[in-house]
Amino acid sequence: MTDIATLEALRAELRSWLAANTPQGWRAITEHQAFAQSQRQWFLKLVGAGYAIPHWPKEWPGGGRSLAEQKVIYEELAAADAPRLLLSFVSTYHAASTLIECGTEAQKARYLPAILTGETWCQGFSEPGAGSDLAAIRCKAELRGDHYVINGQKVWSTMAQYADKCLLLVRTSSDGAKQAGITFLLMDMKAPGVSVRPISQIQGDEEFAEIFLDNVRVPVSERVGEEGKGWAVAQTTLSSERGLTLLELANRMKGALGRVATLIRDHGHEGDAGVLRDFGQLVTQVDAVCATADRFLENRIAGIERVGDASIVKNAYSQALRAYSALGVRLGGMAEQVRAPITFGDLNTGNWMADFMNSYAWTIAGGSEEVQRNIIAERMLEMPREPKAWVQ
Amino acid sequence: MMIDLSELQDSTQKAFPASDLMPPRDACWKIVAEMGWLLVDLPEDLGGLGLPREAAAAILFELGKGLNTAPLTPALLALRGIAAAPDFAAKTDWIERICGGEYVPLNMLRGTVHKATKGGLSGAITGLFEADMAQHVLIGASGAYRLIPTDAPGVTLTERPLWDSSRRLFDLHLEDVSEADTVLVAAGEDAALLHDEIARSAHLFVAADSLGGANAALDMSVEYLKVRKQFDRPLAMFQALKHRCADLKIALVTAEALFWARASAAGSALVVDLGAMKGLATDTYRLVTEEAIQLHGGIGLTEEYPIHHYMKRAMLNLQLCGSLDHWRAAAGRDALQRLR
Repeated sequence: MTDIATLEALRAELRSWLAANTPQGWRAITEHQAFAQSQRQWFLKLVGAGYAIPHWPKEWPGGGRSLAEQKVIYEELAAADAPRLLLSFVSTYHAASTLIECGTEAQKARYLPAILTGETWCQGFSEPGAGSDLAAIRCKAELRGDHYVINGQKVWSTMAQYADKCLLLVRTSSDGAKQAGITFLLMDMKAPGVSVRPISQIQGDEEFAEIFLDNVRVPVSERVGEEGKGWAVAQTTLSSERGLTLLELANRMKGALGRVATLIRDHGHEGDAGVLRDFGQLVTQVDAVCATADRFLENRIAGIERVGDASIVKNAYSQALRAYSALGVRLGGMAEQVRAPITFGDLNTGNWMADFMNSYAWTIAGGSEEVQRNIIAERMLEMPREPKAWVQ
Repeated sequence: MMIDLSELQDSTQKAFPASDLMPPRDACWKIVAEMGWLLVDLPEDLGGLGLPREAAAAILFELGKGLNTAPLTPALLALRGIAAAPDFAAKTDWIERICGGEYVPLNMLRGTVHKATKGGLSGAITGLFEADMAQHVLIGASGAYRLIPTDAPGVTLTERPLWDSSRRLFDLHLEDVSEADTVLVAAGEDAALLHDEIARSAHLFVAADSLGGANAALDMSVEYLKVRKQFDRPLAMFQALKHRCADLKIALVTAEALFWARASAAGSALVVDLGAMKGLATDTYRLVTEEAIQLHGGIGLTEEYPIHHYMKRAMLNLQLCGSLDHWRAAAGRDALQRLR
């Protein structure tokens, strides 16, 4: 546990650093490449200052921060209205967790330092026919000599259009259980045969993309884990999404509650008991989500994580995020219904309606809320699975 | 301060297995006193164990699972009030009496006490649990804390029958009670300080009881769904029911995380933060038990099947120490001031 004086010193240090370094006017950016460029610069600046990867192991500069220190960093970033690291999100969480836990020494040496110099990753998991039923993927990899040759399609890949590398799930066998034929590869997005098409979303942004793979060659040395054992590696990737990332997101939501307070004041609701109750309920809910994320990570560090815990944190967060943005839309009135230009703030775009629409990414992506409920019910509460076969 | 609560929780489970619902009150109270649980969070210089409030909360969490009938919460609150009174001459005598097993409850609902025209004290106070066991009650009302003998002239106790059959609740009526018959524990600024000090424990303890009970009610419901078969399969196999149980589990784990986080810092926490936490915990108990009856189907409506006892206790907890609406608004007002 970090003592209070150390934490307050960190907070003060961050505040003065953020006052001098937080990018200004990033919400005014409405062009995709310009946004990606601003994200790259901000990421490198944070890496240089030691604030980009507090959740990495301590061998890395800026890594090895205690949970309490991490929380201070995320709260202050949100309070300073600093942009979230959207472009490097998959790199610093999903790719890093997967490589650190399951990668070979050569893969770690090749890819982890590169993340810190700006190499970005995307995730090639979902497919048109494999969403909630992720193990049903069909994207095919055939072993030819020392390469896999890949054909198929991936979808819902966050920021794949800007990515250098891809965490790719492929099918190497159709025999036996569908999980057993899955292999995990690290793919170069610049390889011949890879094409990417961004997906236009309901809030006007293009956060997700489709990836088409046409005879793409990936060296066998880029495989994580054994052939046919990719499902277990993918669980590591997903569990980082469902747990580790949420300490940042929950504390950022807490740091951004001031936006709701501002709305209440701007619209003259300070004396409205109903509004105050709804706000108080939200504040408590957000505090509870932060406490849940803390407890989850404390348990993980102590080695007493239970199956289903990560699903609880994810749903608790996504439900709070929905409540937060829905309250903003309601209190913001007509102003939020006026179409805003494309914004890239993710959960804090400056337009509540856009934030509300973005909140669906969290109730659907990374395993939908419904899939998490199944995991909690079946694996934690030990309720029996549904009968399997369905024949049309 | 980090303490290991698992030992306390284990010994509580041993003394009161959760499967034994609502054991008879007087026997429960005897065990509670014998276990020394009244001493748990009493400072060491006053003869207690000097553990933080969190330790008492951990015991109450376990007791809540079996709808324990012993009034440990009102007794701990009265004890804390007496122990924390800045200027109370008879403090050590009273602490000794209470720690020896004499039951003195604090009122857990509002009341008013005023000077009667004839010079004595008059008023009405609600929220005294198991007051039939008490020779004295500690009343916090109208800016003062007083010990009042239940048999003094002008004092009447009236039981208010409850839906919740795990507890008995009494109203206290004062009709020109001579001040000389009562013992003033704190007044003025001292009473205001005492109020906050007691409130920190009160919110924590009501939340502990609620979350313990909610855990038991959810477990009971899930077990029932696994056993009850319709359409040739256990009800627990239906996704519509699974998802409801999963949502209850999420609500419960989330409320518990906030509970333990605030419990570990309760000594220095703002009362509003603890009140808001209690609001969430009691509302979670309400939600879980409300759903629990529905998940049980028809059997949930029978007197014979125990799940209804949890729902009734949950609904009463929601009323204790300030309403949910009150604490939500207070939390909102506080955040609005903080977040400039």
